[in-house]
Amino acid sequence: MSWSINTAWRDSKSGLTYAAASLICLAGICTAQVGEVRAPSAAVAGNSISLSTTGSGSATFYFIGPGVSGKRGVKLGEDIQIPAKELRYAGSYLGIICEDSCQSVEFFVNASSPSRLAFLVHPSRAPVAESDAISGVVLPFDSNGNLILSPTPTDFELTAAGATVMSRRDSTQDGIAWFRANSGRSAGALQVSASVNAVQSRRIVQQVASDPCNLRISGQRAAKGIIVETAPVRDCAGNPLPDGTIVTFTARDGEGKSTVDAPIKKGIARAEISAAGPIVVSAASGVVMGNDLRIQ
Amino acid sequence: MIGIAVSAIALLAPCYAADTDQAPNVTLESAKVGPRALEPLTERSVLRDYSFAWASLARALDSNSVEPLDGPFAGSAAEWLRDTVADQRRNGLSARYLNQTHRLEAVFYAPEGDLIELHDTADYDLQLRDGDKNIYNRHVTRHYVVLMTPSADRWVVRQLQAVPQF
Repeated sequence: MSWSINTAWRDSKSGLTYAAASLICLAGICTAQVGEVRAPSAAVAGNSISLSTTGSGSATFYFIGPGVSGKRGVKLGEDIQIPAKELRYAGSYLGIICEDSCQSVEFFVNASSPSRLAFLVHPSRAPVAESDAISGVVLPFDSNGNLILSPTPTDFELTAAGATVMSRRDSTQDGIAWFRANSGRSAGALQVSASVNAVQSRRIVQQVASDPCNLRISGQRAAKGIIVETAPVRDCAGNPLPDGTIVTFTARDGEGKSTVDAPIKKGIARAEISAAGPIVVSAASGVVMGNDLRIQ
Repeated sequence: MIGIAVSAIALLAPCYAADTDQAPNVTLESAKVGPRALEPLTERSVLRDYSFAWASLARALDSNSVEPLDGPFAGSAAEWLRDTVADQRRNGLSARYLNQTHRLEAVFYAPEGDLIELHDTADYDLQLRDGDKNIYNRHVTRHYVVLMTPSADRWVVRQLQAVPQF
């Protein structure tokens, strides 16, 4: 698409526009203006084009657009070659020819084909079996970093342990496609991929166990007190909670209450509590409480 | 008659020049944005930072200096603006963006709030100069597709791409 600026009409069939050769008369003195300057109806970033001119003699040509602000001498009546390197960015460009006065043409350059994807995926760790836990946004860009705004088919795929968890085809709108998905039921790496034409981008979301399903503790007296430990801690889908998850043990005896935090190691949290007489121990992790354990 | 016109131009000239430093007039419509709603505080930040970005763009292209671009722009937008400044400086050209009005519409706000796409219908007087000579002086309306992302202390413009229409 293009527009002429100092213009008299627009040719609706060809999409080309023309600057009318005209005369400006002030106080009875008339000056000839630069004739016609034409731009192509469609231009693609990173591809050379030519602008055509009419008239004769020499003039100064200015080429103004994103990333370029050039100036050079041209011969009117000849085509003006615009090299690809001056058309790297999609957007609005102005070609201006100045003799005694200036004439201009404006035209747009579109992005070329997808070359790179910006793919934003959140979160990097997600609890299993949670609805709308994972989201992804993809934006296709061409090789010059221009956002591709024409609707473009986009494929999203989520796979875990070689099995497809979700697969969806969408189309970009205003240069963006996105999804939201539930996390799977098994802990481990979830591969999230987006494909636009032959261009693919991948991200990994680590699916981790959710809150513990229950906590069961057992204990026994030792030389300096009692040792309490949990049974293997798992979420409700059977995934072992990751090492480092904190279990809080609370001990109550005749003298009061004391607590100790213990990280899970290899599925089990263990703590040593100083106590001489009868004691009641409970455990909690996140929002889950365990059983009370009474030791005489 | 000509005398009156010249006098009028002479009277207007200082006002015109003063408009270079005038803050852009920016409004933002976010009723249709999704999938995430735009919080009022975020909306104010986007408005403030987009307005500042255009004021910085105007300063950079008028003075042929890249310093104003540091901060409000990143990525592709920063790249082409720096290239433009370098080219202008090399060829003795400059550009002035005067009397700016930007009507923004938020069209996409990412689920996690790390990207916003805006459509900007911008009106301004564009003045292009070769040294002291005016080679283009026109009121233009342009449509821009804008991508902004949050940085440590502000929203930055990563993509500023003019399109014929939305």
